[in-house]
Amino acid sequence: MMTRKNKNIAIIGGGHNGLICGSYLAKAGFKVDLYEARSDIGGMASTRELADGYKVPGAAHLLHQIDSGIQKSLKLKQHGLSYAASGLKTVSINPKGNALIFDDDNISGDDITLREQDQYKEFKVNMKGLSGFFKKTYQSRPPRLGSEDRKDLTGLMSLGWNLRTMGKDSMRNMLKFIAVNIHDVLNEYFEHEHIKGSIALDALLGNRLGPRTNNSVITYLHQLTGDLNGVQGSYAIPKGGMNSYTQALQKAAESAGVTVHLNSPIKQIDLDDENKVKGLILENGETVQADIVVSGIDPRSTFMCLVGPKYLEPGVVHKISNIRMRGNTSKLHLALSGLPVFKGVEPDDLGHRIINAPTMKYLELAHDFTKYGQYSDELPMEIIIPSIHDDTLAPKGRHVLSAIVNNTAYHLKDGWDDSKPKILENCLNQLENMAPGIKKLIVHAELLSPVDFENEYGITGGHWHHGELTFDQFLMLRPISGMAQYTSPIESLYLCGAGSHPGGGLMGLAGRNAANEIISRES
Amino acid sequence: MLQQDHYKQSVYKTPFHERTSALNILNEWARWKDYTVATNYFATDLEYFAVRNTTGVIDYTPMVKQKITGPDAAEFVNRFFTRDMNKISIGRVGYVVWCDEQGQVLDDGTVFHIRENEYWLLCVERQLDNLGIAAIGFDVKIEEITDEVACLGVQGPTSCSILKAMGFEGIEHLKPFDIKHYDFQGQEIMISRTGFSGDLGYEVCMVNEVALNFWDDLFDKGEIYGIHPFGLDALDLVRIEAGLLVPGQDFMVAEDAIRPGSTRSPFELGLSWLVDLSKPVFNGRQALLEEKKRGSRYTFVKLNVNGNKPAEGSYLYNQSGKKIGNVTSAMFSPSAKANIAFASLHDPWKKGKDKIVAEIYYQKDLEWNKVMEEATIVTKPFFDPDRKRTTPAELY
Repeated sequence: MMTRKNKNIAIIGGGHNGLICGSYLAKAGFKVDLYEARSDIGGMASTRELADGYKVPGAAHLLHQIDSGIQKSLKLKQHGLSYAASGLKTVSINPKGNALIFDDDNISGDDITLREQDQYKEFKVNMKGLSGFFKKTYQSRPPRLGSEDRKDLTGLMSLGWNLRTMGKDSMRNMLKFIAVNIHDVLNEYFEHEHIKGSIALDALLGNRLGPRTNNSVITYLHQLTGDLNGVQGSYAIPKGGMNSYTQALQKAAESAGVTVHLNSPIKQIDLDDENKVKGLILENGETVQADIVVSGIDPRSTFMCLVGPKYLEPGVVHKISNIRMRGNTSKLHLALSGLPVFKGVEPDDLGHRIINAPTMKYLELAHDFTKYGQYSDELPMEIIIPSIHDDTLAPKGRHVLSAIVNNTAYHLKDGWDDSKPKILENCLNQLENMAPGIKKLIVHAELLSPVDFENEYGITGGHWHHGELTFDQFLMLRPISGMAQYTSPIESLYLCGAGSHPGGGLMGLAGRNAANEIISRES
Repeated sequence: MLQQDHYKQSVYKTPFHERTSALNILNEWARWKDYTVATNYFATDLEYFAVRNTTGVIDYTPMVKQKITGPDAAEFVNRFFTRDMNKISIGRVGYVVWCDEQGQVLDDGTVFHIRENEYWLLCVERQLDNLGIAAIGFDVKIEEITDEVACLGVQGPTSCSILKAMGFEGIEHLKPFDIKHYDFQGQEIMISRTGFSGDLGYEVCMVNEVALNFWDDLFDKGEIYGIHPFGLDALDLVRIEAGLLVPGQDFMVAEDAIRPGSTRSPFELGLSWLVDLSKPVFNGRQALLEEKKRGSRYTFVKLNVNGNKPAEGSYLYNQSGKKIGNVTSAMFSPSAKANIAFASLHDPWKKGKDKIVAEIYYQKDLEWNKVMEEATIVTKPFFDPDRKRTTPAELY
């Protein structure tokens, strides 16, 4: 009889979800090999050489939503994960130089009144209550609809139970807010434009949405689900660069028995005559046998490129090709000869999370350009200067700046080749307005577009979450209906990436839930 | 199909209209996929007997025709249809069904394997959308050619003699489901030994330009063989006797169904022989595998009903009066001398144990009467003459 001891598992992709999935599988007794196309581990949570002596986070630049259960059970601290800074405040700047500071549930600055402080507290209490519902559902596989399986039925019941036990007010809020947009919700709580813009950015970052787009409440609640050291929605910077998180995961994986193969891009998932998994075919022609293949890369690439539409039912191909995954996010990286001075930002606050989202109107206008394949001169940004906390990232006295720039559509009318220098120039001009004199400090600058992310990390559309986190691509509909439980129509092929429930971010729950599912099905 | 100025005439005449309208002395017409076709020409029963005893001709140009070409055509059709398409070699026709992802039948039809990398699909519902979706990742071209190809069904015992008299050499050697191309007045026409009558018969596809000349020659040569046109009403009679299903009558087209329980899988239509689950992939396979494990909800049966009142639309009950299904098509068959019907049965009907009783309503001088008639299941087609299969075809 086949036991898990002699079943080989091949994992495609050494991002955090692949590593986490592999660790749990290896701990459960499977023989696990992990294949990463790039020369280092980590996928979108990795470190990138910007210029001689300057290092920046390649894509994700803040630790956020790391599931504490995973942190503990994989002993990430022991494997070297530590924070250069944690509990970061959010400093929202505006053109007038009035910064607004969000510190956990408190806000200050920009003529905030006591009443507005109370409003914010009330808002956070309500939203955390709602995101608590998501948080519970994120911890396990989503139930299938219409299934008679006992696990699915209890799953559905607990979904209903979680909704019911939220209490009357929260449940009412959930029903009221879930299908609308963050613009309407924020207008219900606040009058202060700067507060509303700042909060709305959290709903939009990484997504192709404007504040008035439906589904923007879900994305807001989603990013609230994570906690770091017990603080919900908190941010941290890992010591030693972003890849120290994934390096800790790699150590955890290797100590659990996972063999990591770098520089091993996969050409094809090898199938037998009955379309069952046989193993993998690498780009270099090498074939590896595997009883089970787990894909940590996005579902569209997995099925359209590695499996191939010919081996799938047309209905599945149709759904896979209709997953909405249009990247909208770029990264701006600067090597700086000194620390910049941001208008209205105290020197002590410079090491925190600086955001540029002065009003909801500002964000909506930026989205208007996106809709038509254009770009605004005024782009929303999330800026950090990690070198303030971590001196390994830049030469002494020098710094690196990393900014997530939203509303830069994957499909630009003029194409990225022509647009990129203009967008970079726009961003630098914007920064010069926020931090006069910063341009003179620039040693090196680069902009990575969604197209660059697609090429570098192999994500279709360059979408960070491997598919937009909207209600129709959520829970049992993620990535598509019929594949929600990390399984696929190809026998012994599983999914463990952000394209699966509960989606993107660095939380790693997709990887862990997938491992649980594989363990229960394949043992 | 919509063309410029389509609003001036939304229903089209087929290329045979000049002839069919002259013969349609009842002036009875129906709309079939944006074309006008005759429902009756002179008398339904006489048209029916022409098909059964001599030869009937039906204009079935409105049948939707799709052409699939390209290097991946064979692979494409094998993944689209439920049966093993590799068994349909060049020059052969196959009866097919295809399903949606839930394994529910979208339509049925015939596939003509015309030459290497070229297939034609003839069916009732337009399939460009479904075919197009299924073409993602395949090097194939899919076109609808309904308007470019005129089609006639030439069905009945003397059909082979007529076509032979028209000069189509060797036509009698065509086996059932064979295709042969001939020259007709400088144009290539396609004759296949197929049809909807359950008898010896042929279908002819031609370019529109030769349609009228072909009709004239056919009726000229066919006169001494008792050729007559027949309409949709007579067609419905012969196809029930032949045991052939019609989408939209014997089952809901899955795309058009509103209620999930109202669609049918191939297994539930008695078409298991068209499903090859050993193929690694085709649309609906996963769902059909599950149905195989779980059991089907419906059973399709052909019934021989007592009495002589057609059980049209009847509810069916078992011996204890529980509803166990309903009739989808019914007629009194002159050829089988039997009261026949198609039915879809469901729980609590038990095969071999339960009786089937039809609740039949009929009118006598405006007054409705009801009879309860017992029915028995028939496994063979109601009408199945040897000459349907005999090759070379008999020349009557």
